Amino acid sequence: MSIQPTAPDSASAAVDKAAVPVPAGTAARGPRARTATAYLRYGAAKAGGAAVSLLAVLVTGFFLFRLIPGDPVKTMTGGRPVSAGQLAAYRKEFGLDLPLWEQFTDYCRKALTGDLGTSYQFRTPVIDKITEALPNTLLLTGTAFVLYTALGMFLGTRSAWRHGGLGDKLNTGLALTLYSVPSFWLGLLIIIVFAVGLGPIPGLFPTGGMESGGKEGFAYVLDVAHHLVLPVVTLVAVEYGQTLLVTRSALLDEMGSDYLTTARAKGLRDDLVRRRHAVPNALLPTVTLVFVNLGRTVAGVILVETVFSWPGLGGLFYQALSVPDLPLVQGLFLFFASAVIVMNTLADLVYPLLDPRVGR
Amino acid sequence: MTAETATGPRTLAWQRRRRSMARFWRQYRTHRAGLVGLAALALFALVALTAPLTVGSGVTGVTDAPGSPLQAPSGEFPLGTDRFGRNLLGLVVWGSRVSLLVGLLAAVLSVVIGTVVGITAGHFRGAYATVLMRITDWFLVMPALVLAIALATVMPHSLGTVILAIGVTSWPTTARLVRAQTLAVESRPYIERAKALGGGHWHIMSRHVLPNVMPLVLAQTTLMISSSVLTEATLAFLGLDDPTVISWGGLLQDAREAGAVSSGDWWYLVPPGIAIAVVALAFTLCGRAVESVLNPRLGVAR
Amino acid sequence: MSPQEQHGARRSHPRSHRSRTPRLVALAGALALTSSAALATPLNPAPQQAQAAGDRVLTVAVAQSVDSLSPFLAVRLLSTSILRLTYEYLTDYDPGDAHPVPGLATSWKPSADKLTWTYTIRSDAKWSDGQKVTAQDAAWTFNKMMTDQAAATANGSFVGNFREVTAPSPTQLVVRLKKPQATMTALDVPIVPEHVWKKVTDFSKFNNDKSFPVVGDGPFVLTDYKADSYVRLKANKSFWRGAPKFDELVFKYYKDQDAAVAALRKGEVSFVAGQPALTPAQAASLKGQSDIRVNDAPGRRFYALATNPGAKAKNGQKFGDGDPSLLDQRVRHALFMAVDRKTIIDKVFQGHAVEGQGYIPPRFSTYFWKPDPGQELAYDPAKAAQLLDQAGYRKNADGKRVGKDGKPLNYRVLCHATDPNDKAVGQYLKEWWAKLGIGMSLDCLDNVTDPWLAGKYDLAFDGWSVNPDPDYVLSIHTCAALPATPKDTGATDNFVCDKTYDELYARQLAEYDPGKRAGIVKQMESRLYDLGYMNVMAYPNAVEAYRTDQIKSIETMPRAAGNIYGQDGYWSWWSAVPADSGDSSGGGSTGVIIGVVAGVVVLAGAGAFLARRRRATADDRE
Repeated sequence: MSIQPTAPDSASAAVDKAAVPVPAGTAARGPRARTATAYLRYGAAKAGGAAVSLLAVLVTGFFLFRLIPGDPVKTMTGGRPVSAGQLAAYRKEFGLDLPLWEQFTDYCRKALTGDLGTSYQFRTPVIDKITEALPNTLLLTGTAFVLYTALGMFLGTRSAWRHGGLGDKLNTGLALTLYSVPSFWLGLLIIIVFAVGLGPIPGLFPTGGMESGGKEGFAYVLDVAHHLVLPVVTLVAVEYGQTLLVTRSALLDEMGSDYLTTARAKGLRDDLVRRRHAVPNALLPTVTLVFVNLGRTVAGVILVETVFSWPGLGGLFYQALSVPDLPLVQGLFLFFASAVIVMNTLADLVYPLLDPRVGR
Repeated sequence: MTAETATGPRTLAWQRRRRSMARFWRQYRTHRAGLVGLAALALFALVALTAPLTVGSGVTGVTDAPGSPLQAPSGEFPLGTDRFGRNLLGLVVWGSRVSLLVGLLAAVLSVVIGTVVGITAGHFRGAYATVLMRITDWFLVMPALVLAIALATVMPHSLGTVILAIGVTSWPTTARLVRAQTLAVESRPYIERAKALGGGHWHIMSRHVLPNVMPLVLAQTTLMISSSVLTEATLAFLGLDDPTVISWGGLLQDAREAGAVSSGDWWYLVPPGIAIAVVALAFTLCGRAVESVLNPRLGVAR
Repeated sequence: MSPQEQHGARRSHPRSHRSRTPRLVALAGALALTSSAALATPLNPAPQQAQAAGDRVLTVAVAQSVDSLSPFLAVRLLSTSILRLTYEYLTDYDPGDAHPVPGLATSWKPSADKLTWTYTIRSDAKWSDGQKVTAQDAAWTFNKMMTDQAAATANGSFVGNFREVTAPSPTQLVVRLKKPQATMTALDVPIVPEHVWKKVTDFSKFNNDKSFPVVGDGPFVLTDYKADSYVRLKANKSFWRGAPKFDELVFKYYKDQDAAVAALRKGEVSFVAGQPALTPAQAASLKGQSDIRVNDAPGRRFYALATNPGAKAKNGQKFGDGDPSLLDQRVRHALFMAVDRKTIIDKVFQGHAVEGQGYIPPRFSTYFWKPDPGQELAYDPAKAAQLLDQAGYRKNADGKRVGKDGKPLNYRVLCHATDPNDKAVGQYLKEWWAKLGIGMSLDCLDNVTDPWLAGKYDLAFDGWSVNPDPDYVLSIHTCAALPATPKDTGATDNFVCDKTYDELYARQLAEYDPGKRAGIVKQMESRLYDLGYMNVMAYPNAVEAYRTDQIKSIETMPRAAGNIYGQDGYWSWWSAVPADSGDSSGGGSTGVIIGVVAGVVVLAGAGAFLARRRRATADDRE
């Protein structure tokens, strides 16, 4: 569980209706646009904002990690005996001999061309390390994401339909509880029970890693899928609650609307009204949440990857921090932040296209 | 809130507020989950505050640990012992102090930052607000855990660092909410009147806006504590906490390092995790209840 | 120093490893797939490809990631262990008592002036691509390290004293030295094939992990590597010492030691080492398990409390901020006398360690030394208090001892945040020293290198793995190891610089008679003990475990009672004998059951999920 945003259907909805999920909060203030040009203008503004954010991330990434006390080159050589001459050579190699602002411009220029520097500990371009681990992270988070979004929306809808009932109470209760559980702790318990085996429950799943190695073709796919089960279950368990609660409250909100009363007055059956009118509208905020979550999940997966020894970006980040492997930390930080920003911007751009009230 | 003493209008305001508090409580009482959460919190607060009397700081001492390492639960040690032979029940009780304190302080820090930013950004429009909101938006999209881990890494491992790392990364939601509320409040006619009567910025913000956003801030704080407690545990688990301080997350980290997972020493692992979950849940329940009282439209939530 | 990273400093982070029952796992996996079905598009249900049935795979769980597979860059224990399996050294150490035995060199001899060493290279060794291994390969390797700074990254210290290396014939290697050097049979340098490596242009960036199999001449050939997942090696059937018994060796990566232990318990891996040892709880729980053997052997490490002697550079410049009171030998002795080593052994290591004495662990009996009763700094808090009083550090009204500057003494102790023992022992120290009236704060960092190199600590937890030849761990306390200026990094461990010690060091290095050399080494240990800058608290055991239903036998080093992972040589993995029936009987039936149950559960889950989905859609349908 990453740092949780405020509890799911919290005050945000109260204040700023459509802003439930979207941090940038734009949907509500969004386009009154009736025309394509207006939308384009809106889109350009959003994209511009995102560009500014990305730039800010670039700057922070550089300066934040320069705060780590000590000499990166000495860290890099891991305390092995090195002469001042060699250290100077390393400084030159990694561009650390330049004045700070020059290092900065250098870093920006390179970052924009996709060159994130060379990892100290692996002596490999950072971008290679990232592209190596990215598919693994995407597999894990993508799988979990699809499942918890589907599960959250489905249960949230059901819960709203029968709100106040026992099913609803159990549903939201469970969601809130799982939402409050530390993901790493849940992961450890899941390992004890389902990987190691506890009492009569046999350990059916691998304790960690992504593959056993040495398998090819279909066997390989199966092997990876087998390794995928427990971490995905953990992620789904801690993440679905938010989707559920947002869906539920959005739908409840919608169900009180006037147009539904009108629809009912027209004589439409109650469940029909809900399905045809309420659900599609209520799902909108959830859709934006979906995008935001996707970016967030990539970053929040650090703990689950650590607990399950999953060879992804989160694990890499943690490993890089403990050295600290400055270029790698910096690169991953940039990557995570950009992922979130891009996802948010997409959400902003998609929202007005979907929301009928925005009237395009 | 402001009301101090006996002058006429102040007293009136005070009475009005007391009445609204009573009304608030009446409504809050109808939320069963909120009451359960509140009761749980009261219990935990009691446990944490009385810990020096019930278990005493001696429980953390390693040289005079009463048991042998990793004993299973027994009559003497209801939750068993840790890797030093210390009484785990005592440690969980003692750890509540740090976990709650850090959660509370981090949440307060976060909400204070958020409120100040939100109110000023709502009150002063123009370039100032634009810049502030851009910064807020930017913090909002930063993956908070990544940022918190990064901060906790670059600073020395201590409780202060953890509080700061959580507080500094989690305020933007509050800022947005408070700003929206501020805008709403300031559009009301009586603010115009106050301005016309010569009320300065400070007067408006502290006397009119702040009291009106207070309930929102309260709800927000409650919810924020919940996530702060979780984040504290997370950072401790990642070893970014002060290792000599006993907290729930730290106990989990100890348990994992001692090999409790593979050895099946569940008593080392389960209680701190449950404590974290229960506290986080309790704060969430309270926060939701407060929210739905303040905002009846959401009242259907419960 | 951050010993993990340092060369020769194997503060190991090993882990276990894993064996497997391929078909069953595949079956279970197949069924599992159906469950996570939602996303994975079903692929061609090709018949599952189990491994060729006869393949014997030994899986080792490790907790360290590979830093590099280039022998010129790799410094981590895992990487150097793997490279030891793939590239033969000039000499090896006997698994019995660690005396030098032939490796690539069949014999060696120094000249009368001790400055020229001639090695005879064996003619029956071949690279895995079929070419012969020659003296020229060795000469090229050494010369590369002497001329290319990047190639000297990992093992440069071995060639620092080399004047010239030549190969007059394919079987003869001649090394000329600047000064006599007793460690010429302990050159732990992987010899690489010239015909492959001469194509490498930039040694600082080449990680040797792109094209497989990697051409080597060791008992195993590196065939595959996936970062943070695994390293695979195949047996080299034509290895000159004889082919290994297992067909394949896999090092599988776990981020967390506990997960690795769990994997061993389940049979996913065949072997698990510790980082650097299994915890007492893990060892205790594994001991009760059938089919698992816990190897609890005297370790090669010492675990010490280092005291900052006032960091300085060779040019005499002082730096760092060590507490001045620690320059008083009585204070150092008092601090150590307040440390109850027995409690540390009993409580922290829970018996999986031996109480500390001299600098070199008892396992290296030739060099092991222990203090005389008169010299020994035994646990005696009363005497410690007395010593402090004598030294002029008396208690103030609050019961705190006050330094010369009038402020209460408060020492910062540097600890490795990744080492649970540091944190545990630190808490004991804190309470023991508090009784003496001395404050202490535990400074736990992920990476202690920085304050350490800058001399910004008072005391620090220190530990090194000692090689059969103790030269390296002795050299790190000489004045010569100090950094040239505060800007450089020296080989020094703890900034110790003592004339008496240095003279002894120079004598032992030039002494080619083993018995006499050992005598001098013991004198050095005695001197080091008296100085009180390196206080050895314990010699932690190597605690590791393996599955007896997968490994029938495996050689430890020393043979009598020794470790398996992180040996000075490839003996363990080379000698490991697969258990005959293991996989089919034990793993087999349980595996089948597990697989079937897993499948059922998973299918049920998937079914339930799909059913729910369908119901949901049905609901939505009109």
